[in-house]
Amino acid sequence: MNTKGKMIFNYVVMIGLVTLFLIPLYWLVSGSFKSNFEFNLVPPTLFPKKLEFGNYKTAWTQLGFNQAFRNSVIVTISTTVLNMITGTLAGYILSKKKIPGGKLILAMMVSVLIVPPAVLLLPLYFIIVKMGMYDTLLAIILPFAANSFTIYFMKQYIDDIPDDLVEAARIDGLSEMGMLTKIIVPLTTPALVTVALINFVGNWNAFTMPLVLLRSNENFTLPLKQAMMANATDVNAWTLILAATVLSIIPVLIVFIGSQKYFVKGIMEGAVKG
Amino acid sequence: MKANRKLRFRSALSGYIILLPALIVMVAFNFYPIIWSFLVSFKTARAIDIKNSTLFQIPGVFVGLDNYIKVLQNDLFFKSIVNTGYFAIMFIPLTLLSSLLLAIYVNQKFKGVNFFRTIIFIPYIISVISSSLVFMTLFNTEAGFVNASLELVGIKGISWLGNEKLAMPVIALMSIWRRVGYFMLLYLAGLQNISKSMYEAADIDGANAFVKFKSITVPLLSKITVVIMVLLLRDALTIFQEVFVMTGGGPGNSTVTVPFLIYQEAFSYLRFGTAAAMSYILFVLAFIIIIVQNKIINRKGNTE
Repeated sequence: MNTKGKMIFNYVVMIGLVTLFLIPLYWLVSGSFKSNFEFNLVPPTLFPKKLEFGNYKTAWTQLGFNQAFRNSVIVTISTTVLNMITGTLAGYILSKKKIPGGKLILAMMVSVLIVPPAVLLLPLYFIIVKMGMYDTLLAIILPFAANSFTIYFMKQYIDDIPDDLVEAARIDGLSEMGMLTKIIVPLTTPALVTVALINFVGNWNAFTMPLVLLRSNENFTLPLKQAMMANATDVNAWTLILAATVLSIIPVLIVFIGSQKYFVKGIMEGAVKG
Repeated sequence: MKANRKLRFRSALSGYIILLPALIVMVAFNFYPIIWSFLVSFKTARAIDIKNSTLFQIPGVFVGLDNYIKVLQNDLFFKSIVNTGYFAIMFIPLTLLSSLLLAIYVNQKFKGVNFFRTIIFIPYIISVISSSLVFMTLFNTEAGFVNASLELVGIKGISWLGNEKLAMPVIALMSIWRRVGYFMLLYLAGLQNISKSMYEAADIDGANAFVKFKSITVPLLSKITVVIMVLLLRDALTIFQEVFVMTGGGPGNSTVTVPFLIYQEAFSYLRFGTAAAMSYILFVLAFIIIIVQNKIINRKGNTE
């Protein structure tokens, strides 16, 4: 194929695939603006005849998605910040300090990654109930305040900091706290951003554990609220559910678009190192 | 000597103190649960046992292998394995192949390629729940986009999620749509790691594109392919949310996956012992498949 033919081929493929991938999202957004009547029309309309902005308002206030949104923000920010702290601390120790049993602890943390989440479902429920945290936001923050992926990722990144540098700083009398704030954190900022993003998206979208650990409507996070609304038999709420779905996607989309570089780099670096 | 030992002890102590926050969370909410599940899988733990035990008591009465025997005699458990396999057989090869092709495509330099990469990746950051809801409306029997499009070419509407053979493919399709962008990036990382000189040497030898693909790209991507296969397998074995929202396991139990069955067993029927046994069978199954996969791919890598 000549260069021009190849270029035309590339763009045809691109337009085709972009359309294919965006159809679900288009259907979501257009559905969220349809009136209930129009949403159930057969055959369906491709463009909403009249934009029904009221769907958003109803979902937000009357259906209580504002509360779910607030819960999701609290849970996501807390778990993300806590993971950045626990991950950096543990990553630093497991990478740069020789402590007895350090290797074993690291091996155990990494091996948790291959355990199917279904194994943890029941015992987490049990533990949370026994700790008296069932049906509180703490139940879906505390168990996820550290995770092996983040710890391992940070450890890998801190491994790249030369030991000599750390040793020299130690000889200069830098305390552990100073070491972390003056050396480790500044040198691992890109890794921290990546970890923050991955944790943010993961926690914002979490469903299974909140399903098991929460019961009251007012404690529901967004995915839980969406699923419960959809499972309730009221078919007339679909346009509202779609509006709520759009609202739930917007924050991750903004975060992703704003930090795409780090996100993509993090995933690709992880792939090559992994 | 003595001072040195004291110093080392203090250094280790401060190390443990810094490690402590992560360690506490990992022990309390990962290590302990894994052991707990294992022990409970050998016990009958009824709701009342759960209620009466304290945090560090493993609830229930020891019954040996009873739970495992019960699970292996449970027809629905076998059906859930078959269903999970049905999903995996569609999901794993298709995602693997399309993510590789997409990676090769976006590895070229042309205008708009970054935009394209972003679009393909976006579904991955959308929650499974949101994606499931969207696909439910797309595949809606009466007013869905898919049936409306089929109607245009004269095919009568199909009840996708109400059909025992088609419900799982819809779930698989959604999973591919959501995840292919992520695996595309993993493959892209692998492709960018292959040095250009390999291809240049092949060009000099007069190799065509297919030969280059077969004898350079594929073998050199085998390491990342193993990683991707393991991740895909993990995805396939954790399909739960999409079933919970889209089908509730139906129609006719055709979309009951192993994690969905475990959830039902535990939280609908409150049979914690058998649920724990199921989760451990799943664990062992996953472990065996990963090891076999690794063996096969390593052997292939050695002979080629």
